[in-house]
Amino acid sequence: MDFVILSIVMMAIGIYGLLTNRQLLKVFISIELIATAATLNFVMLASSTGQGLGQAFLILAFSTDTAVSGVVLALLVIVTKKYGTSNINEILKMQEKSDIEAEQ
Amino acid sequence: MITLEILSIGLIISACLALFLDEVVYSVAALAGTFLFTALLYYVNGAFYAAIFQFVIGVGTLAILFLSGEMLSDKSTRKTSPKKLSALIGAGVVLSLPAIFLSISSSTGVYSDTSFGDALWNLSGVDVILQALVILTVALGIAIILYEQKKGGK
Repeated sequence: MDFVILSIVMMAIGIYGLLTNRQLLKVFISIELIATAATLNFVMLASSTGQGLGQAFLILAFSTDTAVSGVVLALLVIVTKKYGTSNINEILKMQEKSDIEAEQ
Repeated sequence: MITLEILSIGLIISACLALFLDEVVYSVAALAGTFLFTALLYYVNGAFYAAIFQFVIGVGTLAILFLSGEMLSDKSTRKTSPKKLSALIGAGVVLSLPAIFLSISSSTGVYSDTSFGDALWNLSGVDVILQALVILTVALGIAIILYEQKKGGK
């Protein structure tokens, strides 16, 4: 059982989801998975050598991660309310359309 | 230990389901599974504090995600077919096999008896900086939201 490979696989799934999903909430879930993969690797390597440092760093990482998540979700709600959709392609199309209208 | 293998398979399956299920609410439920399996993996490996924090933070994140998932999801989203569901579970099992059967870690790690409390105390300087960063990020986020609301009101 190798936790390094496990976290690499999880990170690969997250990056694949980040590149292929068009829903904003799914993109956010992908970022959460990537963050979880990174902390999993860190904590497992630290706990296998008996160091409490890994867990201490995890708690610090969580506090920043949670704050960033809150801000990202707030922005996500604003964008969805503004454009009426959470699909990235549709939002980009609307933005292009409004840019063209502003130029004319 | 067989428990670790089962937990890692569950972790990868729930990660696949969280990303590729069509309904957002089910995706968030699968993400709950991912957080749970991660917390259990920490617990089994002796990282008790990490397990508790992963669980607590996971619950908080999921509550917000469930709410925003309900608010933001399109009601016309089609349901996931059983064929796709079984394909996702199969892909999860296949993807977790390398972690079970392969190994790239070297066994040259230096064992240390640094306790969690000592490590956290030694990192108190970093903690203060990070807390400042958190407060700054939250303040920035609130400023952006208020600015957008003011702009939208005009």
